[in-house]
Amino acid sequence: MFKRVLAVSILLAMSVSFAAAQSGKVTIRFFHRWPMEPRFSYFNQVVAEFEKENPGIKIEMDSVVNDAYKEKIRVLISSNDVPDVFITWSDSFAYNLVKSGRVKSLNDLLARDKAFAGSFIQSQVKPFTFDGVTYGMPLTIDGKVFVYNKDIFAKAGISKLPSTYDELISTLDTLKTKGYNVPLLEGLSDAWAISHYLGTMFQRYLPADVLAKDYAEATGEFTNPGYRTVLERFQKLVTYMGPNATSLSHTEVRNQFIAGKLPLIYLQLAEFSYIQASKTKPSYGYFNFPAFADGKGDPGLLTGAPEGFMMSNTSKNPEAAEKFFKFLLSKENTSKFVKAVGAPVAVIGSVNSENSYPELMQAIDLINSVKGSAPWFDNAVNIKIADAFMRGAQAVATGDKTIDQVIATAQAAAKVVKSEAKK
Amino acid sequence: MVSRRIRSAVEPLGFVLPCIAVLGVFVYYPLVQNMIYSFFRFSAFSPEKIFIGLENYRMLLKDEVVLTALRNNTRYAFISVLIQVCWGLVLAAILEDRSIRRLAPVFRTTFFLPVVISVSVVCLLFGFIYSPIDGILNNFLNLVGLGAWARPWLGSGKTAIWATIAVSQWHSTGYVMMLFIVAIQKIPEELYEAAEIDGAGKLRRFFVITLPQVKEMFFVTSVITVTGSFLVFNEPYILTKGGGPGTSSITLAVHMYQSGFFKDMMGYASTIAVVIFLISAVFAVIQLTAFRSGED
Repeated sequence: MFKRVLAVSILLAMSVSFAAAQSGKVTIRFFHRWPMEPRFSYFNQVVAEFEKENPGIKIEMDSVVNDAYKEKIRVLISSNDVPDVFITWSDSFAYNLVKSGRVKSLNDLLARDKAFAGSFIQSQVKPFTFDGVTYGMPLTIDGKVFVYNKDIFAKAGISKLPSTYDELISTLDTLKTKGYNVPLLEGLSDAWAISHYLGTMFQRYLPADVLAKDYAEATGEFTNPGYRTVLERFQKLVTYMGPNATSLSHTEVRNQFIAGKLPLIYLQLAEFSYIQASKTKPSYGYFNFPAFADGKGDPGLLTGAPEGFMMSNTSKNPEAAEKFFKFLLSKENTSKFVKAVGAPVAVIGSVNSENSYPELMQAIDLINSVKGSAPWFDNAVNIKIADAFMRGAQAVATGDKTIDQVIATAQAAAKVVKSEAKK
Repeated sequence: MVSRRIRSAVEPLGFVLPCIAVLGVFVYYPLVQNMIYSFFRFSAFSPEKIFIGLENYRMLLKDEVVLTALRNNTRYAFISVLIQVCWGLVLAAILEDRSIRRLAPVFRTTFFLPVVISVSVVCLLFGFIYSPIDGILNNFLNLVGLGAWARPWLGSGKTAIWATIAVSQWHSTGYVMMLFIVAIQKIPEELYEAAEIDGAGKLRRFFVITLPQVKEMFFVTSVITVTGSFLVFNEPYILTKGGGPGTSSITLAVHMYQSGFFKDMMGYASTIAVVIFLISAVFAVIQLTAFRSGED
C-alpha cells in the first residue's frame, strides 16, 4: 500500500513540475550573498512582489554567504553557468568577472534609459566601469569605521576620540587599565576581515604612488619597507584582541559589541543595521581609521566600496532579466531596502529621514564628505597577493609565522602575478 | 552454430558497454583531461590556456603549503587508523560480547548515529562546541578544574588540525565499527565455545580468535580509512575556514580547491589533483595486490 501511495505521489509530483515547465513561464536566476536576516526576507519580499507584477516571470533565487559567494560565483562564471542577475563587489573583483566575457555591458541600457542612469550617486558607478564600459550598477555604498560603545568610553573617562594611531594605542591602553581586557576585537578567522584592516593601514601608511604601482598586476613588487611596518602595527593591534581572536568570526565579534561587551570594533556602515535591530542596542559613535603620524598616505580617505548587481550576457531571457534588474534598483525598492535593512544605498534620495535613523543619515554625510574612498584590499589587488597577506597576517596573529615570512610569501605571489600579467 | 558463438561472445559486451561508457565519460576522460591541464596555466574566467610544460610541477615542489598539507593528511591517516580502525574493532568486539548483548543495539545505534548526519552539520555543531566564548568544551574543562587546558581550539595553529581530526573520528568511527560487527558476526560460534572450554579468557579469545578472523576486514578498512584521509576536504574547509589559521590545518584537497577556485590557478590546482590521484592510486594498488586473498 505504502509503495503504491509513494508511486502515485511521485507521478503526481512529476506531472505537476512538468505542467509548471509547460506553462510558458520565463525563469530568471538570481544569485545573491545574503542568506541571513534581515536582507534575506527583504529579497524574498521583493522577488514575491516582482512575480506578482509580472506573472509571466519566475525568479529562481539562491544565496550563500560572503566568502562562499566569492568562490561560488567564480565557479558559476567559469563553468558558463552564469546567473541572469547577481550581486558583485566592485573594483578588481568585478573586473575579474568582467574578464570572463560573460558579463553584460550596460552601456546600451544606460544610454536608452537616462532617468535610470541618472538615479545613482555617480561616484559609486565608477568602480563598476572598466575601459569606458559599465558592467554593474551599485546597490549599497559602504565605508569602514571604528565604532565605539559610548557608555564604556565615558566610564573609562575617554573624552577625545583618537585621530592618530598612537592615540588609538593609548586609548586601548586606557581601556585596558580600566578593566577591559579586550578593548578591541576582530574575528580574525575571517580572512576578509583581516584584509579590511591591512587595506586601510597600507593606504594610510604608504605613499599613493607606491600603492598604485604595487596594486597593479604588471608592476607589483611589494618591496617597500612600509609593508613591514604596517604588519608590525597590525600585530601590535592584535595584542589587544585577547587569545581568542583567531578562532572567532566577524559576526560573533559584532554580536559581542551589540551585547555591550566590547568597547571598540572596526565595522562597515552597512553593519549599523545589526546594531539598530538589536534590543540590547548600545549607544554608539564612530570615527574614521586614525592617521599614522609618519604615514605618507591620505588619512582623509574612507575604506569601502559599493556592491551592485550585474547581468549575464548569455541570459536566455535578457528582457526579463533587465526588467528585474531595474526593479531591484528602483528608488521605490531601494527605499524599502533602507527601511528593512538599515544600510546605505547608492540610489539618490533613497536614504531619508522617513526610512532611516540618525546614524545612517550621518553615514551618508560621511561618505559624501570624505575626500574619496579606497577599495577593499582583497578587491584592490590580485587575489593571490591578498591571500598571501590575509593568511600570512592570520599566522602572524597566532604566532606561527614571522612578518618576514609573510612579506616573502607576498613578494613571491606578486612575482607570479607579474609574470602572468606580462604574458 | 557460428552465429551463436559470435552472439555469445558479443552479448556480454552489450551488458558491460553502458558501464564502460559511463566510466569512460565520467572517470577516465576527466582524469586524462586533468593530467593534460596540469601542464597549462589558465584562468577559470578565460578560455585561453598557456602551455608551460613542467612549470606547475616545479612550483609544486617549492610550495611550502603542499608540505604542510601532506603532513596534515599523514596525521589524519595515522590517527584515523588508530582510532577508527583499531578502536572501532575494540568497540565492535565489546558490543558483540555475550555479556552485553541485550544492551548492544542501543550502543550500536548510538555509535552509528553520527555517520548518518551530514558532515557539514557535524562541522557546524563542533564549531559551537569548540567556540572559545561559550563553547561547551572549554566550559566543561573549566567546570572540572582543567581550565588551564581550555584554549581557542580552532584558532591556534598548534591545535586546529588536531581539533579537526578529532571531529572526523567522532563522525566516522561508528561506520568502521559496523563493518567489524558484521565481520565478527560471521565468525563461527564454535571457535569461541572451544576456546572457552579450553579455558581462554575474553582478552585471549579476542587476540587468538577475533583478531585473526577479521584480519581481512582490518586491511580493507585500513586502506579505506587511509585513502579517505588523503582526500579529506569538508572538515578543514568548514571548521577552520579553508585550513586556517594561516595554512596550519590545510589538506591537499583544500589546497587544490583554493588554488583553483579562490586564487584562480586552475592549472596548478590540476597539478595538485594529480598528486592526490597518485597517492590514492598507490593505496588502491596496495589494496588490490597485497590483500587479495578472500571474500571480504
